[in-house]
Amino acid sequence: MEIATSKGARVWLTVFFWLLVVFLYLPIAFLALFSFNAGDPSFPLSGFTTHWFTDVLSNDSLIGSLRHSAVVATASSLIAVALGVMVSFALLRRRFFGKPAVSALVFSPLVIPYLVFGISLLLVFALVDKVLTAWFGSYIGLGLHAVVIGHVVVALPYTILTILPLLERLSVSLEEAAKDLGASSRETFRRVTFPLLMPALISAFLIAFTLSFDEYAIASFLAGSQETWPVFLFSQLRVPSLLPQLIAVSSLIFIASMLLVLSAEMGRRIAERRYGSEYAARGFI
Amino acid sequence: MTAGLLSAPMLWLLLFFVAPVVYVAAYSLGAIKLFPADTGVISFDDWRHFLAGGSVYLGLFWKSIRISLTVSIVVVLLSYPIGYFLALCVRRMKYVLLLLVIVPFLTSFLLRVLAWKVILGDRGILNSLLFSLHVRSPDDPISWLLYSQFAVMLVLAYVWIPFVALPIFVSLNNLDRSLLEAASDLGANRWKTFFRVTLPLSAPGLLAAFIFVFVPTIGEFVTPLLVGGPSGYLFGNAIQDLFTRGTDWQTGSVLAMFLLLVVAALMALFGRFVQVRAVTSD
Repeated sequence: MEIATSKGARVWLTVFFWLLVVFLYLPIAFLALFSFNAGDPSFPLSGFTTHWFTDVLSNDSLIGSLRHSAVVATASSLIAVALGVMVSFALLRRRFFGKPAVSALVFSPLVIPYLVFGISLLLVFALVDKVLTAWFGSYIGLGLHAVVIGHVVVALPYTILTILPLLERLSVSLEEAAKDLGASSRETFRRVTFPLLMPALISAFLIAFTLSFDEYAIASFLAGSQETWPVFLFSQLRVPSLLPQLIAVSSLIFIASMLLVLSAEMGRRIAERRYGSEYAARGFI
Repeated sequence: MTAGLLSAPMLWLLLFFVAPVVYVAAYSLGAIKLFPADTGVISFDDWRHFLAGGSVYLGLFWKSIRISLTVSIVVVLLSYPIGYFLALCVRRMKYVLLLLVIVPFLTSFLLRVLAWKVILGDRGILNSLLFSLHVRSPDDPISWLLYSQFAVMLVLAYVWIPFVALPIFVSLNNLDRSLLEAASDLGANRWKTFFRVTLPLSAPGLLAAFIFVFVPTIGEFVTPLLVGGPSGYLFGNAIQDLFTRGTDWQTGSVLAMFLLLVVAALMALFGRFVQVRAVTSD
């Protein structure tokens, strides 16, 4: 006998589950549909077109914002993954004073409201610029570098959470064997640990990348005149005639990010299978 | 060795995370003079104004809390059956179906909010569909759909359901099935088993799920900005406006610090239920 549910309850739960899946995907499906619709995004449909997609190509500021986002996402995820590896190693392979404090610090960006964090960095940049202007007559200003700085901080805990589980399961004996065979610790890392960690690093990179590419709150305070894609999208939403174009790009990005996320998940699973499989459902959390 | 490993990440976090937050705290007390209008004198005046009864901003804060609470409760109630179904009723395909629910969360947040803006407008997808079906006349659209508190709550719930299903699923999936069998062997029916065994054992997961939504939504300002309109204006919007539309950054800093303190207090109270991972145990 099934203890968790009766037959009737199971039917209801199944129906509820699929209704919820529809609820989750229907709005996105609507967007995709209307990115091929000739008129405004409303019913009745007014004919099939692909010109929203081709219009995008000639919209320089839109393309520019996508380029800005790509640069920020690449730079911030590379840095976040590098820092994430260091923290993961320290937390797992070393004993040191104040480990709980370090752990609390690196994970606290998970809960800080991005609004508050963005403002904090904005204030710091304002102060630094004020001092620089007074002393040297020049200033740094806001821009992509500021967004990168902020995105590294918020992406760091996610990269650590992706790297830790795999590192935890990489047997220390492999590293010890390499050392016994005469490898320096740098060499051990480069030739043994790093290649074995690769799947987790790629996953971590992809997660950090999607996070950064989509991040609005922090970027809106720090981007200045170098708008990233989400900041640009927001500023353009007020122009109704641009809406179909924005929808078209958004749908493309949605598909791309879905592919990225799925490949990150696949990478994680492959790694998992390679090293055993006890943390199957842990995912990104 | 350890120092070498930790110095770069710690330096980054101290410079770009801890220092800025401390700086906002100092600024909210007037310790730093950034604009000519800033006093540059340390005082709690701005804090007192904010916390005084009848302050507009405090009112907005409670409004935000009310909306976050509603959203969190609704989201948890909707996600629990999903977690229950996936953990206890599905055998094969369990993780595929779980992924199906989670994937939207991992894709563009902005796109998901934008979708609702397009759906809910007076001339939006939903209303125009009703016009085409002759359910409503074009002169009489359902206008409370967009730019309302309803819209904010709907979209926030939509955004957070996939995320919350996960901790609930994990807590139910880790449940020892033999306990359920034992309850049934001892004569409990399914409802009794659920209320006396399953529900209490999944309570930590439920609480974690609740915190997962409640904490980030208190400071939410993007969703109200897109679908909230004037009646959906929240505490986070007030903070953003203080920094982007004026130079009263000092009041803005008070509000931002207050939000941070509330979040920190919530995490201090309930954080132990939200196990990020037990890496600090040794």
